Amino acid sequence: MMEEAEIVELLEKNIPDGLLSVVTPRVRKVSAEIAPAIIRKAAETLLGKGARLIIIAAVDAGLDIDLLYHFDLEGKVVVLRVKLGKEKPEIDTVADLTPTAEWAENEAAELCGVRFRDHPKPGHLVLSDKLPEGTFPLGKPFKSKLPDEIGPVAEAVITVGATAPISSLMKRRRVEAGLPPQPPASYSNESQLKEVHELIRQTNFSRQAGYDWKRKKLRGVKK
Amino acid sequence: MKKYALFLGCMIPQRLPSAELATHKVFNSLGLEIAEMTGYTCCPDPILARLMDRKVALSMSARNLSIAEGQGLDVVVLCNGCYETLWEANEFMKRGETSREINELLAKVGRKYNGTINVRHVVEVLHEDVGIEAIKNQVKKPLGLKLAVHHGCHLFREENGRDIWRKPKQFEELVSATGAEVVRSDVDQLCCGFPTSHVDEEFSLKHNLLPKLERYQHIGVDGIVVVCPACNVQFESGQLALRRYSAKFSIPCLHLVELLALAFGAPSKELSLEFHRSPVSQLVARIG
Repeated sequence: MMEEAEIVELLEKNIPDGLLSVVTPRVRKVSAEIAPAIIRKAAETLLGKGARLIIIAAVDAGLDIDLLYHFDLEGKVVVLRVKLGKEKPEIDTVADLTPTAEWAENEAAELCGVRFRDHPKPGHLVLSDKLPEGTFPLGKPFKSKLPDEIGPVAEAVITVGATAPISSLMKRRRVEAGLPPQPPASYSNESQLKEVHELIRQTNFSRQAGYDWKRKKLRGVKK
Repeated sequence: MKKYALFLGCMIPQRLPSAELATHKVFNSLGLEIAEMTGYTCCPDPILARLMDRKVALSMSARNLSIAEGQGLDVVVLCNGCYETLWEANEFMKRGETSREINELLAKVGRKYNGTINVRHVVEVLHEDVGIEAIKNQVKKPLGLKLAVHHGCHLFREENGRDIWRKPKQFEELVSATGAEVVRSDVDQLCCGFPTSHVDEEFSLKHNLLPKLERYQHIGVDGIVVVCPACNVQFESGQLALRRYSAKFSIPCLHLVELLALAFGAPSKELSLEFHRSPVSQLVARIG
Protein backbone atom coordinates (compact mmCIF):
# COMPACT_ATOMS: atom_id res chain seq x y z
CA MET A 1 0.00 0.00 0.00
CA MET A 2 1.52 3.31 -1.09
CA GLU A 3 1.56 6.06 1.52
CA GLU A 4 1.00 9.75 0.63
CA ALA A 5 4.71 10.50 1.02
CA GLU A 6 5.56 7.67 -1.37
CA ILE A 7 3.16 9.12 -3.98
CA VAL A 8 4.88 12.50 -3.60
CA GLU A 9 8.23 10.79 -4.06
CA LEU A 10 6.92 8.94 -7.12
CA LEU A 11 5.90 12.20 -8.76
CA GLU A 12 9.12 13.98 -7.80
CA LYS A 13 11.20 11.14 -9.21
CA ASN A 14 9.33 10.60 -12.47
CA ILE A 15 8.28 14.10 -13.48
CA PRO A 16 10.92 16.33 -11.88
CA ASP A 17 10.94 18.97 -14.59
CA GLY A 18 7.27 19.77 -14.97
CA LEU A 19 6.24 19.25 -11.35
CA LEU A 20 5.54 22.81 -10.15
CA SER A 21 4.38 21.97 -6.63
CA VAL A 22 3.11 19.03 -4.64
CA VAL A 23 1.44 18.91 -1.24
CA THR A 24 -0.56 16.51 0.92
CA PRO A 25 -3.39 18.76 2.14
CA ARG A 26 -4.97 16.00 4.22
CA VAL A 27 -4.88 12.29 4.83
CA ARG A 28 -5.41 10.19 1.67
CA LYS A 29 -4.98 13.16 -0.66
CA VAL A 30 -2.06 14.40 -2.75
CA SER A 31 -2.35 17.57 -4.84
CA ALA A 32 0.18 18.50 -7.47
CA GLU A 33 0.42 21.28 -10.01
CA ILE A 34 2.16 20.27 -13.20
CA ALA A 35 3.10 21.91 -16.48
CA PRO A 36 0.73 21.09 -19.38
CA ALA A 37 3.60 19.60 -21.38
CA ILE A 38 4.03 16.67 -19.00
CA ILE A 39 0.42 15.59 -18.58
CA ARG A 40 0.94 12.35 -20.48
CA LYS A 41 4.10 11.47 -18.57
CA ALA A 42 2.36 12.23 -15.27
CA ALA A 43 -0.71 10.18 -16.18
CA GLU A 44 1.48 7.28 -17.36
CA THR A 45 3.39 7.41 -14.06
CA LEU A 46 0.22 7.06 -11.99
CA LEU A 47 -1.53 4.62 -14.31
CA GLY A 48 1.63 2.51 -14.29
CA LYS A 49 1.19 2.08 -10.54
CA GLY A 50 -2.36 0.85 -10.98
CA ALA A 51 -4.15 4.18 -10.53
CA ARG A 52 -7.51 4.82 -12.18
CA LEU A 53 -8.70 8.14 -13.52
CA ILE A 54 -11.83 9.19 -11.64
CA ILE A 55 -12.70 12.40 -13.49
CA ILE A 56 -11.26 15.49 -15.11
CA ALA A 57 -12.84 18.68 -13.85
CA ALA A 58 -12.43 21.87 -15.87
CA VAL A 59 -12.74 25.26 -14.17
CA ASP A 60 -12.61 28.54 -16.05
CA ALA A 61 -10.62 30.82 -13.74
CA GLY A 62 -10.77 33.91 -15.96
CA LEU A 63 -7.25 34.05 -17.35
CA ASP A 64 -6.64 30.30 -17.29
CA ILE A 65 -8.60 27.11 -17.43
CA ASP A 66 -7.70 24.77 -14.59
CA LEU A 67 -7.91 21.09 -15.46
CA LEU A 68 -8.06 18.88 -12.39
CA TYR A 69 -7.23 15.27 -13.17
CA HIS A 70 -8.47 13.18 -10.24
CA PHE A 71 -6.86 9.75 -9.86
CA ASP A 72 -7.51 7.03 -7.32
CA LEU A 73 -4.31 5.29 -6.32
CA GLU A 74 -4.79 2.58 -3.73
CA GLY A 75 -7.53 4.52 -1.95
CA LYS A 76 -5.75 7.86 -2.10
CA VAL A 77 -6.98 10.72 -4.28
CA VAL A 78 -4.22 12.21 -6.38
CA VAL A 79 -5.16 15.47 -8.10
CA LEU A 80 -3.03 16.80 -10.92
CA ARG A 81 -3.79 20.46 -11.59
CA VAL A 82 -2.85 21.86 -14.97
CA LYS A 83 -3.26 25.55 -15.82
CA LEU A 84 -3.97 26.28 -19.46
CA GLY A 85 -3.63 29.89 -20.54
CA LYS A 86 -6.80 30.95 -22.33
CA GLU A 87 -4.73 32.50 -25.11
CA LYS A 88 -4.35 28.91 -26.38
CA PRO A 89 -6.13 26.37 -24.17
CA GLU A 90 -4.66 23.19 -25.63
CA ILE A 91 -3.26 20.02 -24.10
CA ASP A 92 -2.42 16.47 -25.18
CA THR A 93 -5.18 13.92 -24.75
CA VAL A 94 -4.79 11.10 -22.27
CA ALA A 95 -7.86 9.30 -23.64
CA ASP A 96 -5.67 6.74 -25.39
CA LEU A 97 -3.99 5.95 -22.05
CA THR A 98 -7.20 5.57 -20.06
CA PRO A 99 -10.67 5.32 -21.63
CA THR A 100 -12.26 7.21 -18.72
CA ALA A 101 -10.67 10.37 -20.07
CA GLU A 102 -12.56 10.18 -23.36
CA TRP A 103 -15.89 11.58 -22.17
CA ALA A 104 -14.29 13.80 -19.52
CA GLU A 105 -12.15 15.49 -22.13
CA ASN A 106 -15.11 15.90 -24.47
CA GLU A 107 -17.04 17.52 -21.64
CA ALA A 108 -14.22 19.96 -20.82
CA ALA A 109 -13.90 20.74 -24.52
CA GLU A 110 -17.53 21.58 -25.11
CA LEU A 111 -18.26 23.35 -21.83
CA CYS A 112 -15.03 25.34 -21.40
CA GLY A 113 -13.35 25.34 -24.81
CA VAL A 114 -10.27 23.21 -24.10
CA ARG A 115 -8.75 21.57 -27.18
CA PHE A 116 -7.40 18.08 -26.47
CA ARG A 117 -4.78 17.29 -29.09
CA ASP A 118 -5.13 13.89 -30.80
CA HIS A 119 -8.36 13.04 -28.99
CA PRO A 120 -9.58 9.77 -30.56
CA LYS A 121 -13.26 10.76 -30.70
CA PRO A 122 -13.69 14.55 -30.62
CA GLY A 123 -17.23 15.93 -30.66
CA HIS A 124 -20.10 16.99 -28.47
CA LEU A 125 -21.01 15.01 -25.39
CA VAL A 126 -24.01 16.66 -23.77
CA LEU A 127 -24.68 19.74 -25.88
CA SER A 128 -26.34 20.02 -29.25
CA ASP A 129 -24.23 19.72 -32.36
CA LYS A 130 -26.13 22.78 -33.60
CA LEU A 131 -24.54 25.01 -30.94
CA PRO A 132 -22.68 27.85 -32.69
CA GLU A 133 -18.94 27.31 -32.86
CA GLY A 134 -17.00 28.97 -30.07
CA THR A 135 -19.89 28.87 -27.58
CA PHE A 136 -18.80 27.45 -24.26
CA PRO A 137 -21.50 27.49 -21.57
CA LEU A 138 -19.09 27.41 -18.63
CA GLY A 139 -16.64 29.84 -20.20
CA LYS A 140 -16.03 33.17 -18.48
CA PRO A 141 -14.67 36.47 -19.82
CA PHE A 142 -10.93 36.45 -20.44
CA LYS A 143 -9.90 38.67 -17.52
CA SER A 144 -8.27 38.54 -14.12
CA LYS A 145 -10.08 38.97 -10.83
CA LEU A 146 -8.88 42.56 -10.62
CA PRO A 147 -11.56 45.16 -11.37
CA ASP A 148 -11.03 46.72 -14.81
CA GLU A 149 -10.33 50.13 -13.30
CA ILE A 150 -7.39 48.78 -11.29
CA GLY A 151 -5.79 47.04 -14.29
CA PRO A 152 -3.72 49.98 -15.56
CA VAL A 153 -2.49 50.79 -12.05
CA ALA A 154 -1.51 47.16 -11.43
CA GLU A 155 0.27 46.98 -14.77
CA ALA A 156 2.23 50.18 -14.12
CA VAL A 157 3.20 49.16 -10.59
CA ILE A 158 4.42 45.73 -11.71
CA THR A 159 6.17 46.98 -14.85
CA VAL A 160 8.03 50.00 -13.49
CA GLY A 161 7.19 50.16 -9.78
CA ALA A 162 5.31 53.41 -10.27
CA THR A 163 1.80 54.53 -11.03
CA ALA A 164 3.02 57.50 -13.06
CA PRO A 165 6.39 56.90 -14.74
CA ILE A 166 8.10 59.74 -16.56
CA SER A 167 7.13 60.32 -20.17
CA SER A 168 9.77 61.31 -22.72
CA LEU A 169 8.18 64.77 -23.03
CA MET A 170 8.40 65.27 -19.29
CA LYS A 171 12.02 64.14 -19.27
CA ARG A 172 12.82 66.97 -21.68
CA ARG A 173 10.81 69.49 -19.70
CA ARG A 174 12.48 68.43 -16.45
CA VAL A 175 15.91 69.00 -17.94
CA GLU A 176 14.83 72.43 -19.21
CA ALA A 177 13.72 73.21 -15.65
CA GLY A 178 17.15 72.28 -14.30
CA LEU A 179 16.14 68.91 -12.90
CA PRO A 180 17.59 65.50 -13.79
CA PRO A 181 15.52 63.86 -16.57
CA GLN A 182 14.23 61.28 -14.13
CA PRO A 183 14.01 61.10 -10.35
CA PRO A 184 16.08 58.40 -8.62
CA ALA A 185 13.13 56.00 -8.80
CA SER A 186 13.36 52.28 -9.53
CA TYR A 187 12.49 52.81 -13.19
CA SER A 188 15.59 54.96 -13.62
CA ASN A 189 17.94 52.14 -12.69
CA GLU A 190 17.98 48.68 -14.25
CA SER A 191 19.34 46.79 -11.24
CA GLN A 192 16.86 48.48 -8.89
CA LEU A 193 13.99 47.68 -11.21
CA LYS A 194 15.15 44.06 -11.39
CA GLU A 195 15.02 43.94 -7.59
CA VAL A 196 11.49 45.36 -7.59
CA HIS A 197 10.39 42.79 -10.17
CA GLU A 198 11.82 39.98 -8.05
CA LEU A 199 10.04 41.30 -4.96
CA ILE A 200 6.73 41.42 -6.83
CA ARG A 201 7.25 37.89 -8.15
CA GLN A 202 7.85 36.73 -4.58
CA THR A 203 4.49 38.13 -3.47
CA ASN A 204 2.73 36.08 -6.17
CA PHE A 205 0.70 39.16 -7.07
CA SER A 206 1.84 39.23 -10.69
CA ARG A 207 0.44 35.74 -11.20
CA GLN A 208 -2.89 36.64 -9.61
CA ALA A 209 -3.11 39.79 -11.69
CA GLY A 210 -2.22 37.82 -14.81
CA TYR A 211 0.92 39.78 -15.66
CA ASP A 212 2.85 38.47 -18.64
CA TRP A 213 6.52 39.15 -17.83
CA LYS A 214 7.63 38.53 -21.43
CA ARG A 215 5.14 40.85 -23.05
CA LYS A 216 5.27 43.24 -20.09
CA LYS A 217 1.53 43.64 -19.90
CA LEU A 218 -1.50 42.19 -18.22
CA ARG A 219 -3.12 39.22 -19.87
CA GLY A 220 -6.77 39.27 -20.75
CA VAL A 221 -9.08 41.37 -22.82
CA LYS A 222 -9.18 45.01 -21.79
CA LYS A 223 -12.26 47.18 -21.97
CA MET B 1 22.02 70.63 9.70
CA LYS B 2 18.99 68.35 9.90
CA LYS B 3 18.80 65.84 7.06
CA TYR B 4 15.86 63.90 5.59
CA ALA B 5 15.38 61.25 2.92
CA LEU B 6 13.08 62.87 0.37
CA PHE B 7 10.38 60.57 -0.98
CA LEU B 8 9.22 62.16 -4.24
CA GLY B 9 6.62 59.55 -5.12
CA CYS B 10 5.17 59.12 -8.62
CA MET B 11 3.08 62.21 -9.21
CA ILE B 12 5.46 65.03 -8.37
CA PRO B 13 8.30 64.11 -10.75
CA GLN B 14 5.84 63.42 -13.56
CA ARG B 15 3.10 66.00 -13.10
CA LEU B 16 4.44 68.62 -10.71
CA PRO B 17 8.24 68.95 -10.92
CA SER B 18 7.89 72.58 -9.84
CA ALA B 19 7.12 71.28 -6.34
CA GLU B 20 10.33 69.24 -6.49
CA LEU B 21 12.28 72.37 -7.38
CA ALA B 22 10.55 74.42 -4.70
CA THR B 23 11.27 71.80 -2.04
CA HIS B 24 15.00 72.06 -2.70
CA LYS B 25 14.85 75.85 -2.54
CA VAL B 26 12.76 75.97 0.63
CA PHE B 27 14.79 73.32 2.46
CA ASN B 28 17.99 75.02 1.43
CA SER B 29 16.73 78.38 2.72
CA LEU B 30 15.79 76.80 6.04
CA GLY B 31 19.10 74.97 6.45
CA LEU B 32 17.61 71.51 5.95
CA GLU B 33 19.46 68.87 3.96
CA ILE B 34 17.87 66.41 1.56
CA ALA B 35 19.11 62.96 0.60
CA GLU B 36 17.81 61.15 -2.47
CA MET B 37 16.12 57.78 -2.12
CA THR B 38 17.77 55.81 -4.89
CA GLY B 39 15.61 53.05 -6.32
CA TYR B 40 12.37 53.99 -4.61
CA THR B 41 9.06 52.78 -6.01
CA CYS B 42 5.50 54.02 -5.80
CA CYS B 43 4.58 54.24 -2.12
CA PRO B 44 2.24 52.47 -3.42
CA ASP B 45 -0.90 54.46 -4.14
CA PRO B 46 -3.15 54.51 -1.05
CA ILE B 47 -6.43 53.84 -2.84
CA LEU B 48 -6.09 51.58 -5.86
CA ALA B 49 -2.71 49.90 -5.40
CA ARG B 50 -3.29 49.13 -1.74
CA LEU B 51 -6.62 47.51 -2.60
CA MET B 52 -4.96 45.18 -5.10
CA ASP B 53 -2.93 43.07 -2.74
CA ARG B 54 -1.90 43.58 0.87
CA LYS B 55 1.41 41.77 0.60
CA VAL B 56 2.61 43.52 -2.53
CA ALA B 57 1.61 46.91 -1.12
CA LEU B 58 3.26 46.38 2.26
CA SER B 59 6.42 44.88 0.82
CA MET B 60 6.84 47.80 -1.60
CA SER B 61 6.29 50.30 1.21
CA ALA B 62 8.70 48.46 3.50
CA ARG B 63 11.29 48.34 0.73
CA ASN B 64 10.99 52.12 0.35
CA LEU B 65 11.37 52.56 4.09
CA SER B 66 14.42 50.28 4.11
CA ILE B 67 16.13 52.62 1.61
CA ALA B 68 15.78 55.55 4.03
CA GLU B 69 16.66 53.38 7.02
CA GLY B 70 19.84 52.36 5.22
CA GLN B 71 20.76 56.05 5.19
CA GLY B 72 19.76 56.45 8.83
CA LEU B 73 17.24 59.14 7.92
CA ASP B 74 13.59 59.87 8.52
CA VAL B 75 11.47 60.06 5.37
CA VAL B 76 9.85 63.34 4.38
CA VAL B 77 6.95 63.22 1.91
CA LEU B 78 5.30 65.94 -0.14
CA CYS B 79 2.10 64.01 -0.78
CA ASN B 80 -0.80 63.10 1.48
CA GLY B 81 -1.25 59.72 -0.22
CA CYS B 82 2.40 58.78 0.15
CA TYR B 83 2.20 59.93 3.75
CA GLU B 84 -0.70 57.69 4.63
CA THR B 85 0.67 54.66 2.83
CA LEU B 86 4.18 54.89 4.23
CA TRP B 87 3.09 55.98 7.70
CA GLU B 88 0.66 53.07 7.99
CA ALA B 89 3.19 50.61 6.58
CA ASN B 90 5.69 51.86 9.15
CA GLU B 91 3.16 51.19 11.91
CA PHE B 92 2.38 47.71 10.55
CA MET B 93 6.08 46.93 10.37
CA LYS B 94 6.37 47.54 14.10
CA ARG B 95 4.09 44.55 14.66
CA GLY B 96 6.03 41.32 15.06
CA GLU B 97 3.97 39.05 12.84
CA THR B 98 3.64 41.48 9.91
CA SER B 99 7.27 42.50 10.19
CA ARG B 100 8.38 38.85 10.04
CA GLU B 101 6.10 38.11 7.07
CA ILE B 102 7.20 41.13 5.04
CA ASN B 103 10.87 40.88 6.01
CA GLU B 104 10.85 37.29 4.75
CA LEU B 105 9.91 38.68 1.33
CA LEU B 106 12.42 41.54 1.56
CA ALA B 107 15.17 39.06 2.49
CA LYS B 108 14.69 37.39 -0.88
CA VAL B 109 15.89 40.60 -2.55
CA GLY B 110 18.59 41.23 0.04
CA ARG B 111 16.75 43.82 2.12
CA LYS B 112 15.49 44.20 5.66
CA TYR B 113 13.44 46.87 7.40
CA ASN B 114 13.88 47.18 11.16
CA GLY B 115 11.31 49.93 11.76
CA THR B 116 13.79 52.43 13.18
CA ILE B 117 12.78 55.53 11.22
CA ASN B 118 9.80 57.87 11.09
CA VAL B 119 7.63 58.98 8.20
CA ARG B 120 7.07 62.73 8.26
CA HIS B 121 4.82 64.91 6.17
CA VAL B 122 6.51 68.05 4.90
CA VAL B 123 3.93 70.01 6.93
CA GLU B 124 5.16 68.36 10.15
CA VAL B 125 8.81 68.92 9.29
CA LEU B 126 8.28 72.60 8.54
CA HIS B 127 6.01 73.25 11.50
CA GLU B 128 7.66 71.11 14.17
CA ASP B 129 11.32 70.87 13.19
CA VAL B 130 11.68 74.37 11.74
CA GLY B 131 8.91 76.30 13.45
CA ILE B 132 6.59 79.10 12.41
CA GLU B 133 8.90 81.88 13.62
CA ALA B 134 11.82 80.57 11.58
CA ILE B 135 9.53 80.34 8.55
CA LYS B 136 8.36 83.91 9.08
CA ASN B 137 11.97 85.03 9.35
CA GLN B 138 12.61 83.72 5.84
CA VAL B 139 9.65 85.53 4.27
CA LYS B 140 11.03 88.21 1.98
CA LYS B 141 7.79 88.89 0.14
CA PRO B 142 4.75 88.77 2.43
CA LEU B 143 1.91 87.42 0.31
CA GLY B 144 -1.12 89.62 0.48
CA LEU B 145 -3.28 86.88 -0.90
CA LYS B 146 -6.61 85.39 0.06
CA LEU B 147 -6.11 81.63 -0.13
CA ALA B 148 -8.27 78.57 0.27
CA VAL B 149 -6.49 75.71 2.00
CA HIS B 150 -7.43 72.27 0.76
CA HIS B 151 -6.04 69.96 3.43
CA GLY B 152 -6.68 66.71 1.54
CA CYS B 153 -8.25 63.62 3.10
CA HIS B 154 -5.10 61.70 4.00
CA LEU B 155 -3.61 64.63 5.91
CA PHE B 156 -6.12 63.80 8.63
CA ARG B 157 -4.52 60.36 9.11
CA GLU B 158 -3.35 60.38 12.68
CA GLU B 159 -2.12 58.08 15.38
CA ASN B 160 -4.95 56.72 17.53
CA GLY B 161 -5.86 59.17 20.26
CA ARG B 162 -4.12 62.16 18.69
CA ASP B 163 -5.88 65.21 17.27
CA ILE B 164 -6.75 64.63 13.63
CA TRP B 165 -6.60 68.39 13.11
CA ARG B 166 -2.95 68.53 14.19
CA LYS B 167 -1.45 68.53 10.68
CA PRO B 168 -4.30 70.42 8.96
CA LYS B 169 -3.92 73.25 11.50
CA GLN B 170 -0.16 73.20 11.04
CA PHE B 171 -0.74 73.51 7.31
CA GLU B 172 -2.98 76.55 7.79
CA GLU B 173 -0.45 78.18 10.13
CA LEU B 174 2.30 77.67 7.56
CA VAL B 175 0.17 79.35 4.87
CA SER B 176 -0.58 82.21 7.28
CA ALA B 177 3.15 82.56 7.99
CA THR B 178 3.64 83.69 4.39
CA GLY B 179 1.43 86.70 5.08
CA ALA B 180 -1.51 85.23 3.19
CA GLU B 181 -5.03 85.15 4.60
CA VAL B 182 -6.44 81.64 5.00
CA VAL B 183 -10.09 81.63 4.01
CA ARG B 184 -12.19 78.93 5.65
CA SER B 185 -15.35 77.56 4.09
CA ASP B 186 -17.79 74.72 4.60
CA VAL B 187 -16.36 72.76 1.67
CA ASP B 188 -12.81 72.60 3.03
CA GLN B 189 -13.15 69.00 4.12
CA LEU B 190 -14.86 67.79 0.98
CA CYS B 191 -12.59 65.42 -0.96
CA CYS B 192 -11.22 66.90 -4.20
CA GLY B 193 -12.51 63.80 -6.01
CA PHE B 194 -9.19 62.44 -7.26
CA PRO B 195 -9.68 58.88 -5.95
CA THR B 196 -13.18 58.51 -7.38
CA SER B 197 -12.08 59.96 -10.72
CA HIS B 198 -10.47 56.58 -11.48
CA VAL B 199 -13.82 54.86 -11.51
CA ASP B 200 -16.31 57.62 -12.31
CA GLU B 201 -14.81 60.86 -13.57
CA GLU B 202 -18.14 62.62 -14.04
CA PHE B 203 -19.18 61.85 -10.47
CA SER B 204 -15.88 63.09 -9.06
CA LEU B 205 -16.09 66.31 -11.07
CA LYS B 206 -19.72 67.11 -10.32
CA HIS B 207 -20.01 65.92 -6.73
CA ASN B 208 -16.58 66.74 -5.35
CA LEU B 209 -14.71 69.29 -7.39
CA LEU B 210 -17.57 71.45 -8.66
CA PRO B 211 -19.04 72.39 -5.24
CA LYS B 212 -15.59 73.26 -3.97
CA LEU B 213 -14.71 75.45 -6.94
CA GLU B 214 -18.11 77.16 -6.88
CA ARG B 215 -17.65 78.07 -3.23
CA TYR B 216 -14.06 79.24 -3.68
CA GLN B 217 -15.10 81.36 -6.65
CA HIS B 218 -17.99 82.83 -4.66
CA ILE B 219 -15.66 83.71 -1.79
CA GLY B 220 -13.24 85.23 -4.28
CA VAL B 221 -10.04 83.45 -3.33
CA ASP B 222 -6.82 84.23 -5.17
CA GLY B 223 -5.85 80.59 -5.21
CA ILE B 224 -5.96 77.18 -3.59
CA VAL B 225 -3.05 75.72 -1.64
CA VAL B 226 -2.58 71.97 -1.35
CA VAL B 227 -0.03 69.58 0.14
CA CYS B 228 -0.78 66.72 -2.19
CA PRO B 229 0.07 66.44 -5.91
CA ALA B 230 -2.98 64.26 -6.56
CA CYS B 231 -5.26 66.99 -5.20
CA ASN B 232 -3.31 69.51 -7.28
CA VAL B 233 -3.82 67.48 -10.45
CA GLN B 234 -7.51 67.13 -9.67
CA PHE B 235 -7.95 70.87 -9.11
CA GLU B 236 -6.07 71.73 -12.29
CA SER B 237 -7.11 69.04 -14.77
CA GLY B 238 -10.55 69.06 -13.20
CA GLN B 239 -11.08 72.75 -13.99
CA LEU B 240 -10.33 71.96 -17.63
CA ALA B 241 -12.53 68.86 -17.63
CA LEU B 242 -15.44 70.75 -16.10
CA ARG B 243 -15.65 72.90 -19.23
CA ARG B 244 -17.31 69.86 -20.83
CA TYR B 245 -20.18 70.53 -18.46
CA SER B 246 -20.18 74.29 -19.13
CA ALA B 247 -18.57 75.11 -15.80
CA LYS B 248 -15.72 77.57 -16.26
CA PHE B 249 -13.23 78.35 -13.52
CA SER B 250 -9.86 79.99 -13.50
CA ILE B 251 -8.52 79.45 -9.99
CA PRO B 252 -4.77 78.93 -9.50
CA CYS B 253 -3.70 75.95 -7.44
CA LEU B 254 -0.25 75.30 -6.06
CA HIS B 255 1.64 73.25 -3.49
CA LEU B 256 2.59 74.67 -0.09
CA VAL B 257 6.32 74.40 -0.85
CA GLU B 258 5.83 76.50 -3.99
CA LEU B 259 3.94 79.12 -2.00
CA LEU B 260 6.73 79.21 0.57
CA ALA B 261 9.38 79.46 -2.13
CA LEU B 262 7.57 82.47 -3.59
CA ALA B 263 7.27 84.05 -0.16
CA PHE B 264 10.95 83.40 0.49
CA GLY B 265 11.65 85.51 -2.58
CA ALA B 266 12.49 82.85 -5.16
CA PRO B 267 11.92 84.26 -8.66
CA SER B 268 8.90 82.53 -10.17
CA LYS B 269 10.91 81.66 -13.31
CA GLU B 270 13.30 79.59 -11.22
CA LEU B 271 10.37 77.55 -9.95
CA SER B 272 9.17 76.51 -13.42
CA LEU B 273 5.58 77.16 -12.44
CA GLU B 274 4.55 76.65 -16.05
CA PHE B 275 4.23 72.95 -15.19
CA HIS B 276 0.91 73.91 -13.64
CA ARG B 277 -2.25 73.64 -15.68
CA SER B 278 -4.07 76.29 -13.68
CA PRO B 279 -3.32 80.03 -14.03
CA VAL B 280 -0.62 80.19 -11.36
CA SER B 281 0.92 83.10 -13.31
CA GLN B 282 -2.21 85.07 -12.34
CA LEU B 283 -1.37 84.50 -8.69
CA VAL B 284 2.30 85.34 -9.22
CA ALA B 285 1.27 88.61 -10.88
CA ARG B 286 -0.72 89.55 -7.78
CA ILE B 287 2.33 88.95 -5.60
CA GLY B 288 4.28 91.28 -7.84
